[in-house]
Amino acid sequence: MVSPAIALAFIPFLLTLLIRYRHYFLLFYRAVVVRIIQDYLTGMPREERAFQYVITHAIPGDPQSILNTFDQWCYHCEYLSNVGPQKGKILERLICETAPLNVLELGTYCGYATILMAQALPVGARLYTVEMDPRNAAIAEKVIRLAGFDEDTVELIMGPSDDIIPHLKDKHGLQKLDFVFMDHWKRFYLRDLQLLEEEDLLQEGTKILADNVLFPGAPHFLQYIKSCGHYRYKVHRTSLEYFRAIRDGMAELCYTKLQ
Amino acid sequence: MSLDYVKVWNVFESWCRDWSLSRWRAQTPDILGLLQQGLEQELDLSFLRVQVAAVSSFLVTIHVDSEGGSSGEGGSADEEQEDKTGQDHCDSKEKKKVAPKERDIGRSDSEEEKDETGNAAGKYRHRNRRGQNKRPTNEGGNAEEIEEEDGGAYKTRKNRANERSKQQGTANKARKAGKGRGRNGKKEDLTEKNADKNDKTKKGKQEKTNKKKKDKKKKSGSGSDSESEEEPITEEELDKLKEAVEEKKKLIITIKNKPWMMKQKLEVLKDAQLFVEKFEGALGKGKGKRFYAYKVMMTKKWMKFQRDFENFKTACIPWEMKIKEIESHFGSSVASYFIFLRWMYGINLILFGLTFGLVMVPEALMGKPYGSMPRKTVPRSEEASAMNFATLWDFSGYAQYSVLFYGYYNNQRTIGWLQFRLPLSYLLVGIGTIAYSFMVVIRTMAKNANDEGGGDDTSFNFSWKMFTSWDYLIGNPETADNKFASITTSFKEAIVEEQESRKEENIHLTRFLRVLANFLVLCTLAGSGYLIYFVVRRSQKFALEGMEKYGWWERNEVNMVMSLLGMFCPTLFDTISNLENYHPRIALRWQLGRIFALFLGNLYTFLIALMDEINLKREEEKIVKYNMTLWEASLYNGTLSENSTAPSVHVDPADIPRGPCWETMVGQEFVRLTVSDIMTTYITILAGDFLQAVFVRFFNYCWCWDLEYGWPSYCEFDISGNVLGLIFNQGMIWMGSFYAPCLPAINVLRLHTSMYLQCWAVMCCNVPHERVFKASRSNNFYMAMLLFILFLSMLPVIYTVVSIPPSFDCGPFSGKDKMFEIIAETLENDFPSWFGKVFSYASNPGLILPFILLMVMSIYYLNATSKAYQATILELKKKLQMQAEENKKRNKQRAAKAQDLVEDEAQPPSNQKTLKKEKTPEKVPRVKDPKLGYTAVPSHHPIAQLQFVAKIAEQVVRFQLEEGQTVHLHQMGFQKFQSTETNLLSVTTFILQHMDHIEAMALIYVVLTAAFNLVNNTTLLDCFHLVGMWDKAHD
Repeated sequence: MVSPAIALAFIPFLLTLLIRYRHYFLLFYRAVVVRIIQDYLTGMPREERAFQYVITHAIPGDPQSILNTFDQWCYHCEYLSNVGPQKGKILERLICETAPLNVLELGTYCGYATILMAQALPVGARLYTVEMDPRNAAIAEKVIRLAGFDEDTVELIMGPSDDIIPHLKDKHGLQKLDFVFMDHWKRFYLRDLQLLEEEDLLQEGTKILADNVLFPGAPHFLQYIKSCGHYRYKVHRTSLEYFRAIRDGMAELCYTKLQ
Repeated sequence: MSLDYVKVWNVFESWCRDWSLSRWRAQTPDILGLLQQGLEQELDLSFLRVQVAAVSSFLVTIHVDSEGGSSGEGGSADEEQEDKTGQDHCDSKEKKKVAPKERDIGRSDSEEEKDETGNAAGKYRHRNRRGQNKRPTNEGGNAEEIEEEDGGAYKTRKNRANERSKQQGTANKARKAGKGRGRNGKKEDLTEKNADKNDKTKKGKQEKTNKKKKDKKKKSGSGSDSESEEEPITEEELDKLKEAVEEKKKLIITIKNKPWMMKQKLEVLKDAQLFVEKFEGALGKGKGKRFYAYKVMMTKKWMKFQRDFENFKTACIPWEMKIKEIESHFGSSVASYFIFLRWMYGINLILFGLTFGLVMVPEALMGKPYGSMPRKTVPRSEEASAMNFATLWDFSGYAQYSVLFYGYYNNQRTIGWLQFRLPLSYLLVGIGTIAYSFMVVIRTMAKNANDEGGGDDTSFNFSWKMFTSWDYLIGNPETADNKFASITTSFKEAIVEEQESRKEENIHLTRFLRVLANFLVLCTLAGSGYLIYFVVRRSQKFALEGMEKYGWWERNEVNMVMSLLGMFCPTLFDTISNLENYHPRIALRWQLGRIFALFLGNLYTFLIALMDEINLKREEEKIVKYNMTLWEASLYNGTLSENSTAPSVHVDPADIPRGPCWETMVGQEFVRLTVSDIMTTYITILAGDFLQAVFVRFFNYCWCWDLEYGWPSYCEFDISGNVLGLIFNQGMIWMGSFYAPCLPAINVLRLHTSMYLQCWAVMCCNVPHERVFKASRSNNFYMAMLLFILFLSMLPVIYTVVSIPPSFDCGPFSGKDKMFEIIAETLENDFPSWFGKVFSYASNPGLILPFILLMVMSIYYLNATSKAYQATILELKKKLQMQAEENKKRNKQRAAKAQDLVEDEAQPPSNQKTLKKEKTPEKVPRVKDPKLGYTAVPSHHPIAQLQFVAKIAEQVVRFQLEEGQTVHLHQMGFQKFQSTETNLLSVTTFILQHMDHIEAMALIYVVLTAAFNLVNNTTLLDCFHLVGMWDKAHD
């Protein structure tokens, strides 16, 4: 039997853990605990709830209003792993700078980033967005249409990214990409980047933006882009969406076709 | 040392041989020369870094051991280095200006034809410069042309110019023989210096060849010396030859300052060396030749012996190589812990020798054997379990009744055939242990203290950071990256600090937070103190009721709780201190103070509880004493009634009742505490660091986030915690070793194993600190803590020795009222009576008080003198600075005048005018920042220095980009007639655009380092912002 005094001696340790990782505990609480409770109470998934909120609060046809509503919901109600307003600014600026015509987004989720990019795209540009989960894809479809983007501007493709990418050329008539935004499973970043290279979809000057490279983190991806020599890269250090204290980064790559 | 380093060192050696430099006295310019060659050979930048690390690690090896805490020395050395770098940057340029000119002035009447190469080169350069001036807009794609660009006056010109003028002075005075002699004398000086210094290289062969060359020079030098005294054959020819040789020699010395390509330099050097060798031989045919040969041979042998001896000495330093390796991976701060550990090991070895040799061994060999007396026998009640492992591990049973503890010793005045006075020896060893420790600690502190000196470290803050923050012992790329990052952070912090010192905002919140943090810390301290007190009291209760009833947890409760608190509370303090928002340096100090308070509190709570226990035991002792008389009486009565004929009864010593012997109890407590401390440390290392490392390493393949770079990551080596642990452990040894002579032995074992274990652990499962910092300054801080602990641990020992009577039936002082009575007894019995008298007089308060007074007064006097000396040193420093400033100004004026002269001769007036006009914008007025205390824009010509840096940048950029694609300065936006600020910005921007992030940072760091004194603060901030070192949003 452990004596109570020894147990008491562990209090400083627990306190330290609690204080030091309070942000992560909070994140865990908001992203997991609250979600499970709400799922149980309302009987529908989190994304659905977010959509309900958006459709009741946002102005249809106004992308900015929809984005704001999403932010509001995420700040005050529940947590969604969107791109978030802070990182959204970087994404928007990059889109404005490069003015791409063919954009690929991996990981639509609720369509937040899709709307963000679509509203910044130049005239005549086309955005392909890939989502694996059919339920999320359905919601994203609704959100995107709500924001007023039609099939010509934004095309939502459902399915896992490693199935979709090889068929982009023949099924969707896509020749080269100007901009790629990755925000799906962090483990697939590297695999999909290599797939894109193999399929010869990248051209010189193609920008690739990968979200969440520091938290949760995609180390092999970072290691690869550092070592392979095909890319010039830069890591934008920001914080996790809706959590200022947790540090995160976005990797911006530029395909240079060296070697 | 790794094989890489040895290889690099070989390269460096051969390079030094080529340049006939001495390896061990190689200066920064020499090493930079090597690096330049590397650059020209298109070596990788990271490899150059390794080269620097290798060379410096070899160079430092000699000095490292004495380096202990050479912080103040660091200051001057750094300054020197700064100077050197500056010199290296501008020597090349100033040379061609000053040198030809003064040569013309001083020596126009003679030897024009003799300095073929030197002067020809000078002329060539001269011409080149003129050409440059004629076409000022022509951009320098060619390396030489760029370097030929004429800068203004330089910081270090004064040295060079002074030296020149001195030489010229000699030349003018006695141009023919006198000058030659002077030069030769100088050379001889140099050679002798080389001979003096201690070599410890393994490459004996190369060394030898090198030496031969030097010897030859020396021989010929003195040969010519003697020749000038005796009658020459053809004096004029000889003179001419001598002058030529002179010139060549001078060329060899100064060649590394010339702004030529390496290849050219090497060629010229080889020519010159050949020439010197050939003709020196001709000159050296004197009568002293044989004597010189002998002398040379002897010097060679002597050198070889010295070298071997040095090698031997280094091989004798224990763990030197291990520590070096750690140093190269983790920086000097982690290494300083291991050096401290080694130092501790040395001290403990001596303590161990004292107790082992003078107490334990005599008792074991000559004292009464085990089982002869009650105190040397395990009592009957414990006999059954006395050999169990659990009992032995607890240091009871047979371990308790052995030489390891106080109680075993007998109070016989002398033992054995040697008449060894064991009780006296016991007391003296106890005192000697503490006295020796005091002496060593204070001596080390004093040795470190004079390094500090009276410097003004606060001024020149940024310059210090720029030029002294790199740790040249780092050889590991990851650590280098960390160090780089930490330098950047420190810059960020310094800038933020600088800005925050100007604006004061929300001071109430910070104050409140600090008070809150301190309150929390106090609560934690009080809580932990109470917990320990509670636990100790409980354990006493257990002890009274009998330990057998309780389990392992209850028995080890005290140690467990103390170890756990010692482990977890510091991390809590660390977390709390985030609230305070202190500067990291101050925060570290607070943290150390708090941990210190915690440990001390714990230790003293433990002591107080122990005191309680001692009192309990003494009560018990009284009862036992009383019972014993009863028992004896009953024994005698019983036996008498049984067997009246035998008066003496033999009772087995195990059956005789005995007192509780509080001294042994104290000793046991300390030993147990030490052992459990060792266990906790090792288990923390194995279970904490090692398992975490294994987990992170192998689970990283299948985990949903990045373990290595993300959350748990690998541990850092906790320097402050480890050092404090070591210090407190030592305190425990000091406290307990009087009652448990085995304690130093245990500690020696502990330190020995922990050296290996921690070395292994640090290399295997720790990562370098995110903020690698240099350790030199904190060394004396640790020593001060050690001294404090020594004092604190001495107090209870002295108290118990002086005031508590020893147990009546155990230990060397049993039967006496006080322990120190043994001294009086010895005086009485072993010394003649007059000695006792003298001693009693000497211990008279009337004599002791004046003596103490005298000591206090002498301390006061010494203190006052040292303060006065410090003030003088400061004054002299100031004077030196003023003088340097003055010299700089004067030299600048002189150089400007000379330049004007030359330009007047060379240039048509119109051209000169345009040139001057274009130069004016560069001369930014001096901006004196009173807060920083340094001049933001120094008076010397900035653009030339920047240009040198930019040239390095150009070289590196060329290697970073695709092969073959050359980038020139003008492509980088560098324009010769732009202001320095614009150029700096454009170069930075270019590098940023065209290079990979990390390389660009490294390179720009180089550029900014050199540019720091050239531009004003806003430009620099802009650059920092560009690089990302500084967020503009803070403004």
